[in-house]
Amino acid sequence: MHTTFPFLPSRAALLAGSAAVCALGSVEATAGGVRAGTLIENTAIATYDDGAASRTITSNTVTILVDELLDVTVTSLNSQPVLASPGEAVLTFEVTNQGNGPEAFDLIARTNLADNEFETAFTSVAIDSNGNGVYDAGVDEILAASRTTPILAADQAITVFVIVDVPGDVEDQQTSGVELIANATTGTGAPGTAFAGQGEGGGDAIAGTSTASASARGALRAGVATLSLIKSVSFQDPFGEQSAVPGTLATFTLVADVTGSGSIDDLIVVDAIPDGTTYAEGTLTLDDGPLTDASGDDAGEASNENGISVSLGSAAVGAQHTITFTVTID
Amino acid sequence: MKIITNLSAAILALAVPIGPAIAQDEAPTAPAAEPKISLRSDVMAIAISIDDQGHATTTLAQPEEFTPGTKLSFGMNYSNTGSEAATNVTGTSPINPAVRLAPDADPALVVSVDGGGTFGTLETRSVETKPEGTRAATHADVTHVRWTIASIAPGESGRIAFPVIIR
Repeated sequence: MHTTFPFLPSRAALLAGSAAVCALGSVEATAGGVRAGTLIENTAIATYDDGAASRTITSNTVTILVDELLDVTVTSLNSQPVLASPGEAVLTFEVTNQGNGPEAFDLIARTNLADNEFETAFTSVAIDSNGNGVYDAGVDEILAASRTTPILAADQAITVFVIVDVPGDVEDQQTSGVELIANATTGTGAPGTAFAGQGEGGGDAIAGTSTASASARGALRAGVATLSLIKSVSFQDPFGEQSAVPGTLATFTLVADVTGSGSIDDLIVVDAIPDGTTYAEGTLTLDDGPLTDASGDDAGEASNENGISVSLGSAAVGAQHTITFTVTID
Repeated sequence: MKIITNLSAAILALAVPIGPAIAQDEAPTAPAAEPKISLRSDVMAIAISIDDQGHATTTLAQPEEFTPGTKLSFGMNYSNTGSEAATNVTGTSPINPAVRLAPDADPALVVSVDGGGTFGTLETRSVETKPEGTRAATHADVTHVRWTIASIAPGESGRIAFPVIIR
């Protein structure tokens, strides 16, 4: 009987003379370590004196195959809550394959988080196909129902957009969270959980410290802007007094105030010339600056028939605009 | 039956002999009138268990996992199946670049950090830095491990090993 180590590792193939398989000095490592599928060899050469001469012998070579570590991170790329108004809102995340082999990840977006002050409706998950970091509808690929990413190489990161719908009854400053979860498609589990034979190159896939699953939360804050418009009038009659008689000049002042959060787009203030009055040409002003009556040359236009119209464009919170125009009482 | 229990006397500059001595119960039936050394490589997992008194016991087991960060024992089993002693036995094991020598390797281990060109203990080794200068070598720089045994008697066998960590 010859008792040696009863060691025959199931996957440590004894490959004598296969040194060319793994040349010394060139091993690709990733953040997650040596790439899955890399072959590691242990061998030795020995010399000894046999009493007459020096002899050289070579051992067998034991080759092991590096297993695939399944690890992932998810990061919210929105440094501040995304300002959301009713309708579509987009949150941006980064999913990184922290393992040492190629892996795809199943993405799950959760909108019903415990401390949400309002709840969004999940619409879709898209990947940043053109790599510009911004969601481009129609350009960035919407993931199909299983919401699985393409296969990511070790260390590869992709930007993922979660698109949600903000309800119409949201109130200004309310907050809501959206969580994105990424699970390795091979499987998830406590660190060390093995998926036999499912690793890159035929080794095992093994859940790493991340449990092969990760999540991150993005936040939304409702930004609802409110517009107030206050109109006042002052009279100057032909006698220098403030009575409203024929020939009195009536100057209307419209003050537009934007409050709340965010901004109001395409804000246009229009007003009709009251019956029984006539627009006094060349009296339209915006924030104390004169505007012409003609259309197209500046922000405003005015005529007796169509009244006044002043385009304020995008008005941010805190913006106040004052429009004045004068009519003559017939 | 002949059981070799103590190899240390035969080992001068050695890799850490972690494994138990090999039991061998028969001398070769037709011994040649010369030493005959055989070498067999192995890869074992290092398992450390701690008992009730806090004493750590290191055992070798069949490795199940080969993920980055896994610690393994790279072993070399030698035996002299001849009838004479083999002397001046020198063995060299290249360290695969996908692994690094573990920091708990025996400081007396004779190593090379230059691809097997020169050998010495790690503390005597240095590596060149770019663009100029040198720095003390670390375990991760080791490219080869060398072990020497003055004499291996007929029938004697043992295991020499060094710990590595998958990069």
